[in-house]
Amino acid sequence: MTPFIPPDPSGNMVGFTTTIPLEILVAAGRRPVDLNNVFINHPDPSSLIEEAELEGFPRNICGWIKGLYSVVRHHGIGEVIAVTEGDCSNTHGLMEVLSLQGVKTVPFAYPYGRNAATLALEIETLTRHFATSPAAVREAKTELDRLRRKIHEIDRLTWEENLVSGGENHYFQVCTSDMNSDAAAFEKEVDEFLAAARQGPPRREPLRLAYIGVPPIFSDFYPTLEKMGARVVFNETQRQFSMPFATDSLVEQYRRYTYPYDIFTRLEDIEREIARRKVDGVIHYVQAFCFRQIEDMVVRRRLPVPVMTLEGDRPGAIDARTRIRLEGFVEMLRSRQ
Amino acid sequence: MISAVGIDLGSRQVKIAALQGTDLLWRRKFDTIPFYKKFGGLRDGQLTIDFAAMELLTPEEMASVAMVVTGYGRNTIDLTGALVIPEIQAHVAGARHQTGLSTFTLLDLGGQDSKVARVEDGRLMDFVMNDKCAASSGRYLENMAKVLDVSLEELSRHHQNPVPLDATCGIFGESELIGRILEGHSLPRLCAGVNRTLIKRVAPMLHRFPVDHLVLTGGVARSPAFRELLRVATGAEPLVPDHPQHNGAIGCALLAAAR
Repeated sequence: MTPFIPPDPSGNMVGFTTTIPLEILVAAGRRPVDLNNVFINHPDPSSLIEEAELEGFPRNICGWIKGLYSVVRHHGIGEVIAVTEGDCSNTHGLMEVLSLQGVKTVPFAYPYGRNAATLALEIETLTRHFATSPAAVREAKTELDRLRRKIHEIDRLTWEENLVSGGENHYFQVCTSDMNSDAAAFEKEVDEFLAAARQGPPRREPLRLAYIGVPPIFSDFYPTLEKMGARVVFNETQRQFSMPFATDSLVEQYRRYTYPYDIFTRLEDIEREIARRKVDGVIHYVQAFCFRQIEDMVVRRRLPVPVMTLEGDRPGAIDARTRIRLEGFVEMLRSRQ
Repeated sequence: MISAVGIDLGSRQVKIAALQGTDLLWRRKFDTIPFYKKFGGLRDGQLTIDFAAMELLTPEEMASVAMVVTGYGRNTIDLTGALVIPEIQAHVAGARHQTGLSTFTLLDLGGQDSKVARVEDGRLMDFVMNDKCAASSGRYLENMAKVLDVSLEELSRHHQNPVPLDATCGIFGESELIGRILEGHSLPRLCAGVNRTLIKRVAPMLHRFPVDHLVLTGGVARSPAFRELLRVATGAEPLVPDHPQHNGAIGCALLAAAR
């Protein structure tokens, strides 16, 4: 589990709204905090959404945005990198409300067309903002890549050797956006997990699923599926957080990272992994009120295996209706086998 | 002698079917909430249904009968040996048996859910179900009938010249309908408008599937207005089996008999 982050009197924490070039914060000696991870690991994440709504956030916008807002307030985080392009435009509103309250907001944009020169300029600007150097950033990349390779091994053990559950695969990959805000402690946890996983018996779920879209807001998603005999062997976005494409260039790394770009770029990666990992069916998770629900149309037309679109709104356990839908999907895949 | 019993614990009604071989012996139906009040109780912190107290079966039948359960409350039946199955499996089995078809598209409109399933050569090929909102279900029709102060039967008679109504949300729909009433539209047009919103909700789900054979089940299948609007919207003649509401329960009973 991600440790609960206490308030930050030192002012060393830097929050961010989605994955950013982590190398820069590490090089600058700042403590990286993926606000999403803190939100979802809060003992009562729903209360964070309710607090934001009390302050005036509309009910019919994404729960993550409201959760992120309350996390910044609770932890007294003074500086936030807001991804203004490559994620959603709700971030703009969030950033404006936070800056009104004295939080320093730093914009970062992934250019929609994946233009290398534009992205290089964004990275350079962020590097300068945090008063570090390209050389220090390169050094941080070498160190982070070493840890990322261990996460890639966890992913391989998931689909190739069937030694890792869908939930474990999700957890270790999703943590790579900020390395749990403490890379050394996280690496220790990873090493222990790897050693134990390699000793374990292979898992025997008869159905193999891909999970695509943003990470689930449900707390019991993966074990629920595994009890039905279906295991997630591919977590699309979480894997992207771990920077799966090896390259020495920082710009190239964040150009090949698919999540902030168009759906076709993502689909290339998804289609390749579905084939490689022998996936029987895809669960496309979409957050309620998210623009990605539109992209679902493209996903459904392009993918060669059955797709179930799953919508989530508030954090918590899977509700009775969603469970019925999941059961129906798993049953359908079973009957096709 | 009863050989198999199927139970569909729906969100609005509980349906039970009993078979001898593959012949339907009897069907029963209970409103869900009174049903749970009467036969349900907490045991070890879990809602548990006392099946014996329902006195549907003799003690001898209880001892020998095969039983399969599905639906929302499927994990609450207190009967050792009762098998719990996913809803879609029950509905497909029921529809195959009741229609004699092995290739068809099934539209099931229940109390709270709408489902579409594609079955080819007896195999479930694809399946969609509405998400959060119940605006295309029996519950929605009941609410709208209440707003219009008519019976469900009356509501289900009208399909011509529908008043335009939005189909996004059942609750917004109520306020919108009240607005339309205040504009002075006739009751038949208002009823037809409500029935038409159901079509708007299910059309995007149906659109993905062939309608070579369109089987319609669930309580809403009993609505003549809905059937007519569906025929116009899809160009296919909806096929309603003899017992559309008990389709899931019959499917369960058949699967129990086959065990």
